[in-house]
Amino acid sequence: MRPMKDFSRIRLRHWQTRVLVQKSSFLNAIGIKPWVMLSIVFVATVARAAEPPLPEKIDFNRHVRPILAEYCFACHGPDANHRKGDLRLDVRDDAIKASAITPGQPDMSSLIARVFAASAEERMPPPESKKQLTADQKEILKRWIAQGAEYQQHWAFIPPQKVEPPVIAGVDQPIDRFIQGRLAVEGLKPAPVAAAETLIRRVSLDLTGLPPTIAEIDAFLAASATQPESAYRDLVDRLLESPHYGERWGRWWLDQARYADSNGYSIDAPRQIWAYRDWVVNALNQDLPFDEFTLHQLAGDLLPGATESHRVATGFHRNTQINQEGGIDHEQFRVDSVFDRVATTGTVWLGLTIGCAQCHDHKFDPITQKEYYQFFAFLNTQDEPTIKYYGPDVEVALLTQQFKAAQQALSDHVTQHLDQLVAWEAMQTDETKKTLAAAVKTAIGVAADQRNFSHKRTLYAAGPGTADETFKTLNKALSDAESKLNDVPTTLSMAEMKKPRQTTILIKGDFTRPTDPVSPGTPALLHLFDNATGHSNRIDLARWLTSRSNPLTARVIVNRVWQQYFGRGIVETENDFGTQGTLPSHPELLDALALDFMERGWRLKELHRVIVSSQTYRQASVDRPELLERDPHNYLLGRQRRLRLDAEIIRDVALTASGLLSRKMGGPPVYPPIPDGVMGQGQVKRAWTVSTGEDRYRRGCYTFVFRASPPPALNVFDSPDGFSTCTRRIRSNTPLQALTLLNDGASVEFAEALEKIIRDAGIPAAFRRCTSRDPQPDELAVLQALDTRSAARVLLNLDETITRE
Amino acid sequence: MNDLRDVTRRHFFGGCAVGLGSLAMASLISGNQGASVSAAAEPDVLQNPLQPKPAHFPSKAKSVIFLFMAGGPSQLEMFDYKPKLAELNGQPIPESYIAGKRFAFMDSSHKTNLLGPKQKFQQYGQSGAWISDLLPHTGSIADELCIVKSCKTDLFNHAPAKLFMNSGSGQFGRPSIGSWVTYGLGSECDNLPGFVVLQSGPRGPRGGAVLWGSGILPTSYQGVPLRNTGDPILNLSSPKDVNSDQQRKVVDAVRELNLKRLVATGDQEITTRISAYEMAYRMQTSAPELMDTGSETAETLEQYGIKNPNESSFARNCLLARRLVERGVRFIQLYHTNWDHHGGPAENLDQHLPAICGEIDKPCAALIRDLKQRGLLEDTIVVWGGEFGRTPMGEARESTGRNHHIDAFTMWMAGGGFKPGFVYGQTDELGFGVVENPVHVHDLHATLLHQLGLDHERLTVRFQGLDFKLTGVEKAKVVRDLLA
Repeated sequence: MRPMKDFSRIRLRHWQTRVLVQKSSFLNAIGIKPWVMLSIVFVATVARAAEPPLPEKIDFNRHVRPILAEYCFACHGPDANHRKGDLRLDVRDDAIKASAITPGQPDMSSLIARVFAASAEERMPPPESKKQLTADQKEILKRWIAQGAEYQQHWAFIPPQKVEPPVIAGVDQPIDRFIQGRLAVEGLKPAPVAAAETLIRRVSLDLTGLPPTIAEIDAFLAASATQPESAYRDLVDRLLESPHYGERWGRWWLDQARYADSNGYSIDAPRQIWAYRDWVVNALNQDLPFDEFTLHQLAGDLLPGATESHRVATGFHRNTQINQEGGIDHEQFRVDSVFDRVATTGTVWLGLTIGCAQCHDHKFDPITQKEYYQFFAFLNTQDEPTIKYYGPDVEVALLTQQFKAAQQALSDHVTQHLDQLVAWEAMQTDETKKTLAAAVKTAIGVAADQRNFSHKRTLYAAGPGTADETFKTLNKALSDAESKLNDVPTTLSMAEMKKPRQTTILIKGDFTRPTDPVSPGTPALLHLFDNATGHSNRIDLARWLTSRSNPLTARVIVNRVWQQYFGRGIVETENDFGTQGTLPSHPELLDALALDFMERGWRLKELHRVIVSSQTYRQASVDRPELLERDPHNYLLGRQRRLRLDAEIIRDVALTASGLLSRKMGGPPVYPPIPDGVMGQGQVKRAWTVSTGEDRYRRGCYTFVFRASPPPALNVFDSPDGFSTCTRRIRSNTPLQALTLLNDGASVEFAEALEKIIRDAGIPAAFRRCTSRDPQPDELAVLQALDTRSAARVLLNLDETITRE
Repeated sequence: MNDLRDVTRRHFFGGCAVGLGSLAMASLISGNQGASVSAAAEPDVLQNPLQPKPAHFPSKAKSVIFLFMAGGPSQLEMFDYKPKLAELNGQPIPESYIAGKRFAFMDSSHKTNLLGPKQKFQQYGQSGAWISDLLPHTGSIADELCIVKSCKTDLFNHAPAKLFMNSGSGQFGRPSIGSWVTYGLGSECDNLPGFVVLQSGPRGPRGGAVLWGSGILPTSYQGVPLRNTGDPILNLSSPKDVNSDQQRKVVDAVRELNLKRLVATGDQEITTRISAYEMAYRMQTSAPELMDTGSETAETLEQYGIKNPNESSFARNCLLARRLVERGVRFIQLYHTNWDHHGGPAENLDQHLPAICGEIDKPCAALIRDLKQRGLLEDTIVVWGGEFGRTPMGEARESTGRNHHIDAFTMWMAGGGFKPGFVYGQTDELGFGVVENPVHVHDLHATLLHQLGLDHERLTVRFQGLDFKLTGVEKAKVVRDLLA
């Protein structure tokens, strides 16, 4: 069992706060009725008395590696080209050989001499790095060498280990045992379970992105009054089976897939790739195991008997931008899109910054530039076809068959009545021919024995067909069958090139400077690439990524799911599990979740179920004095955390509360109302014809997203831009958000609808639709003092309405 | 549960004499950990993201106005006087100048000949700076300008090059310079955004909103476009049938209920939301007031060349820039299109370049004079330039124009501690490359930050294990020669 990590981040703080109540001199000055505003002045005095004492026994991964990574590896690490003084400190033998380290003898180690050096010229790190070691950090290095200077492999590159969770009386679930065990070390306790109405709103928003209906709340309150455990279990079961689960968690994945509906760069033309979005939603709803989910997206086209669904899935890596600007070298931007695919794959599955090795050996993680281009080679040999999309409900074989049958029927009919065609043609003079439509003219110009079916059909339609009802019927049937087969949406996909392109290392990542050729491969620092099949294509890559021996993928994915529930991953740097990343706050828990995820067959729904069923998830989010003092940032999870909702879900909550929501799923993206003039920000002004009918009120995840001019109401709440993979959304809190919720046309429309509800059902009912709870009397009083429209607007603007508590 | 609330209430508010109120200004912006804005500033002390922050060292300037000439203005017709190029007009390009180089529009640029400057030049002011006849007003303020003829950039297509000029990288997702500056220094204006973007010309700049995006920084730092029609800021006006009294009551009620929730939960994020609503409400008044140029004198309007103060133009945007600086806004960026004079329709050097120079010449000069007269120029940096320059050889389209050129182009700075009346850097006699004192975009960025009191190597943000900075990986330098 590895020792519990300590938290250098958690420092005791003594908060001294003070408030000033002052009048706004500005508003005074401009003649607005002065009102008392809270100007919030914050005085924090930080007591540093409780810095963790220097550890007696130094642990390389916990104490030493962070120092070396932060201060030393940039010049004395894996990057051979930028290495200074021919010294590397990331490999023990090399450091010893160079006398930087003499195990057991700090006095004989030049590393120690240099970091303790009195003169600035001698001292490491050098002044130009603008970085300095603290006295404690120097002491740690000294003790570590005195204790033998043992190195350890970076934690994330060691496969997850099974560790028995601490025994806590009355607590069963491993998650809770790990969390509470850690809290107990600090003398802290978890929070009590959240109120039932908080719980149903929380878990409904987390699993489906939609708030519960009043009926659902009432049913849950009633059930949980007597049987809280089974009521909650049933609730979770129901939500995981809801089709809206796929929408909510689909959007989580689409962030990572950098999905949007336009080509990006300056021209930013619209594109059709929504079939991929629907594929993701459906795959998650069906709980396609994550290893299969990976395989389909990275290599669906290569699978034996690849179906349309498999090809649509390969849209994952077609979500790169396309530069349609004049005067460009297309190869440059093709290579750029492959760079993006490599970086995205590395970040999304491995939590590694592989992209850093594009121009040089990685400075912090042992990934060479050659290995980068070996990885690149997997993704450098594809064509990028646009394919027709029929969807899962359409049987293409049947359509084709119907088309062929219709064609045969028409062809037979024309053949049987060929004499009429001959007769009609004989009547044509040079004069009458001039009046014929272009296609007819072309067809008549072809010698009779050279004519194909299309020619004959055209001529017959122009001539004898005009008076032949049977022909008309058959002709229309064929047109319809043709249309069903051909006039369908398209989507972007991947296909392997017939003749693969040779990949080479590119000097400094410059596509005009190719050097040594490389073949596909994976970084040596990770598990072995199984090349038993003899070939190395994207199938092998996908299998390698989701191999049981991969130390990273399962950890990275469970961490990213965890982050959605608690606002922070167990590894806070969710996109960097390398040596520069932060250490996990609960390493054993992370490993337990990762192992469990794989053992249960990579089933995401099971992972969700395990997490949301835990007491840790279900605790109240209310802050407490002892937590504020001991763990102000809630690393130890002594409570849940209030989280501002994602951009799309803020829309969904307002739509649901106001009763306007359309629950229609999938299909082409829609155009809800946006403010005038926002489409003119880019080079080309794009059309935005507001959708009518229920499409005006679809969930936020169906709004059309132009990369260069994103929909303001989503953008202002930090929806990702689709330029590169987004593995964690920022949660900003700005005045522009306030203006959006107060004044945006869509907000006004929601408020009008909610006002009707207030008129019909009263303020308490409207309050519940927004927050899932009953208002307190004092809250109700504030709202009742307003006119109904204002009350509706206030409700939609509450922090609580746009927050998951 | 109620017990818990009571405990919380007692803890947070019990001991406070003012009653409701012991509030901590919180930003708690996720993803903002490890910001090394200032060694003195405690990194996780919670504060309003736009509150003024201490600089790294004493600053020379407080605000920046970046006049972005989108499309790539031709330095050869404006600032970089090349008599030799005139002499060799129509001659083939000497191979030594272009060996191994790449240009945009490789097809149409190849096998074209040198194109002599289309304009006459004269020397202006004490400094004797050579400026073409297209820019007489700019000439008249030559002694205020610090002209850099030796600018270099890395990318030669519009969108990536604009990104590069704004964010120091051609890759998407990096913060723009205005975001970096407001992130580093906050803003001294509490009723307008800290980073404001104004646009003029026939179309938006290529690249769109990402040019003023905050990338890996929180959106609190992204540029806010002030619009020319309708609300100056998106959704600034209250809904049509809502009067200001109702709006005030709504904002007050939101605050009151949010405060109650703050008491109940202890979540300091609610405090930030309360202050965001207050600022939004203040903006509803201050932004229209900003845009209302009615208080400006006829003389001022005439100085800028503003014919109709209600009509959007570069000239009006220059005046607004001054008004923004007066209000303490940190970073103001003006985009003016279209400078892409390839020789195609509406893009020729003979009519369209003189026309657009006419649009910007007088307002630029007026802005500098106006700032100076009001004592604002010394702590405001004005930057003029595009994403790249244009080639010494012609490009044959409908007429002969010039192609994109990244190896040598001209920008100018004024105010903010830049040397006035100073010309820096030399290009070769044909203008293909820099022969003396090159200034790369990263150097320019480092220098601008330096004048604002920010060390470009310390203004970093940790993302994916790396400390990102505006000036990229290769070492950038502060160009001290440019500084007074």
